[in-house]
Amino acid sequence: MRAEPWRTLRALPTLFRVGVAETLAYRAEFIVWILTTTQPLIMLGLWTSVAREAPFAGYSSNRFVAYFLASLIVRQLTGNWVAWQMGEEIRSGAMAMRLLRPLHPFFVFAAGQAAALPFRSIIALPVAFVLLASSGASVLTTDPMQLVLLVPSVLFAWLIMFALMFAIGALAFFLTRTMALANLYYALFSLFSGYMLPLDLLPPWIRTIAAWLPFRFMISVPIEILTRSHDRAELAAMLGGQAAWTVGAMAIALVVWRAGIRRFEAVGG
Amino acid sequence: MIRARDLKRHFKVHKRPPGLLSALRSVVRRSYDVVKAVDGVSFTIERGERVGFLGPNGAGKTTTLKVLSGLLHPTSGEVAVEDCAPFRRQAAFLRKITLVMGQKSQLIWDLPPGETYAMNRAVFDVPRAQYDQTLRELTELLELGPLLEKPTRQLSLGERMKCELAAALLHQPTTLFLDEPTIGLDVAMQVAIRDFVRSYNQRHEATVLLTSHYMDDVVALCPRIIVIDRGTLIHDGDLRQLIKTMDPDKRVSFTLPQPIGDAELARLGALLARDGQRITVRVPEREVAAAIGHLLGALKATDLAIEDPPLEDILRVMFGKHRAEPA
Amino acid sequence: MTRYLRLFAVQARTSISAAMAYRANFFIEGAITLIWTAVTLLPLVVVFGQRQTVAGWDEPQALIVVGYFLGVRAVLEGTISPSLSDLVMRIRDGSFDYILLKPADAQAMVSTASYAPWRIFDLLGALALIGYAFVQRGAPPAPADAALGAVLFGCGVLAAYALWIVCAAASFWVVRMDNLMYLLTAVFDVGRWPIDVFRGAWRVVFTVVIPVAVMTTFPAEALLGRIDLTHTLGTIGGALALLVISRLVWRTAIRNYTSASS
Repeated sequence: MRAEPWRTLRALPTLFRVGVAETLAYRAEFIVWILTTTQPLIMLGLWTSVAREAPFAGYSSNRFVAYFLASLIVRQLTGNWVAWQMGEEIRSGAMAMRLLRPLHPFFVFAAGQAAALPFRSIIALPVAFVLLASSGASVLTTDPMQLVLLVPSVLFAWLIMFALMFAIGALAFFLTRTMALANLYYALFSLFSGYMLPLDLLPPWIRTIAAWLPFRFMISVPIEILTRSHDRAELAAMLGGQAAWTVGAMAIALVVWRAGIRRFEAVGG
Repeated sequence: MIRARDLKRHFKVHKRPPGLLSALRSVVRRSYDVVKAVDGVSFTIERGERVGFLGPNGAGKTTTLKVLSGLLHPTSGEVAVEDCAPFRRQAAFLRKITLVMGQKSQLIWDLPPGETYAMNRAVFDVPRAQYDQTLRELTELLELGPLLEKPTRQLSLGERMKCELAAALLHQPTTLFLDEPTIGLDVAMQVAIRDFVRSYNQRHEATVLLTSHYMDDVVALCPRIIVIDRGTLIHDGDLRQLIKTMDPDKRVSFTLPQPIGDAELARLGALLARDGQRITVRVPEREVAAAIGHLLGALKATDLAIEDPPLEDILRVMFGKHRAEPA
Repeated sequence: MTRYLRLFAVQARTSISAAMAYRANFFIEGAITLIWTAVTLLPLVVVFGQRQTVAGWDEPQALIVVGYFLGVRAVLEGTISPSLSDLVMRIRDGSFDYILLKPADAQAMVSTASYAPWRIFDLLGALALIGYAFVQRGAPPAPADAALGAVLFGCGVLAAYALWIVCAAASFWVVRMDNLMYLLTAVFDVGRWPIDVFRGAWRVVFTVVIPVAVMTTFPAEALLGRIDLTHTLGTIGGALALLVISRLVWRTAIRNYTSASS
């Protein structure tokens, strides 16, 4: 039992390498996945148009540009399709094979999704960074500490996103059609995370609801750290919230997974 | 009638060797291998024949069936089924044939088979009266009665297969392509399906082309067999004739009341199997009568059985020879 | 022709009974679509909370665009999308071969295979929204406008159908292609906004490349009586052109499938 986490750790490089090979194996699918996360550019077109004559609720065109480019970057860095992958494997029976192996699927899938990261980003990120630096320079924070804190912030965001998507993927153990729930999740995500529009633009009562949901900590918080100045207390609260939700999301993932496995074993797959 | 002349079907398969470097390279440049699934096969099957299509896995049987049923275009060569070019997939052609794939299902999963039948009736435009009668016949022959009301997912494999067969025959095709129809079924069900196919063949004068890994299916059902290996045809002819030519010795099995010495056993024939008192020997055909006389008379053997050599053994020899031949 | 009608009737019946087989699902899905609709409306509410008009569209007019968006989406998610997801699954497990063995047009069979009947809620929501918008305007649409609005709604649906078929046909070539459906759904999402809101490159993309404008904005313009001849002809012509293109792509895909699969 004690050897397990060590074994997992040692296996990670290989898992990573295989993940890369898998990613590259399906070129077209891969490109499509990248394209699906370009919604911020569409939103950018929309909101800059709205803010053309006059700033909208304190957001000038420039500020919208910076916001959505940052949103694109964060989304590219934190997106994954593990829910879809798990659903497929459970339906096809491949998941049964995975369960026979000594490594917990959580880590295997995580390594696989992480492996895709460099390749997903290779096209979009440089462009986005350049654009962001040039056009949004006035809006970005210059506080070096905030910039440094971006790293743990994005890491937390990735973990929360992955854990919750893992939980949704595990729902395929129970439901034959998880598409509806996945769609619902996506609808709530795009609204409450700041993906669809900056959270400050939402009516106050919705913002209150958003504060209690994990979505804000997946997209909005890193963007907020990048584009606004905060004092120490605020930063601590934001990162603390992310850390708390990381734990929470993993707990949810674990619970759903366990329940799913129990059902799987009872039904016989 | 089915006719194939120098039929070829090749596939381009993307080569993907393992390793990170190859994976990266495959993003920009892909290399292909050509797989010759069917490489120059010719045969003619007359109306009403029952033909077994045999070969090891990957020999090209399923590919040939797919070309004959119109699912695949031939790479080259001629093929005609019921006087039509299958790959044109004309409605008239599709109404005359049926393809049953043992490993793939056409029944709607969540609904009773009856619903799939209703759909097929609409698609094939079968007149109501004829459909009712056909369904009655099939229900009776295959004992489908209680199965028609249960959702497909609740049926056992054998029950599902029977319903699949019925679905495939509702439009009364005259050419049947059966690709491993008895796979995974228990012996009783295999026999039932064999009997059914034979009866359908006789009543409708339907041509049957069957592939199966169960030799019993072929031996019981097909007077003629076509053997394929690695895309080429290595035998086409009468089954009994083949067995006699390849291996004219019979297999004689018996039980002895008392043990017998090796020398005495060797006089009967070559020992093939010994399981306690149950012994199987191989006896050349012309010596069978004498051997039986000796067994029943002097040795007082019981439970005597005389059988042809198993088809598997014959095929194994055939494939072995084929592979050893210079390419 | 009657044969196809009979086939569609049977397929609809079997599919809807399959959907109804999971009864609880029906109401859960209904609830989900209502929530989804509310989320769809929220950004619109935010924008018009601060502005009277955006790119020449006021709130009631924009709501009508959303109404058309919900209507087209209802048909999409109610029949086109489930059928084509079904197709992708069949291609993967090999049972698509059985469709090719039937003496009926494969595209027709495949397009009518599966239904999600709870999407009727979406459609009712769309009508309610459009009704509400006209109440806000203070006067109902002129009969001629309503007629043209209905016709162009049909064109919008056909255009969406054509795009989705092209998408589904792609899964003949590339095995794991259902995420292309997600992409298309995400792009289609743009249709909830009047196309005039977008400028430059995006506008061109959404009017010509993936003509979302054709599906929602132009029909809305027709209903509002503000459509010009170019847009009318563009919508009808565009839908027809897309149908032809999609048919060609489909046939190429089938030819490819029967020559390259194993």
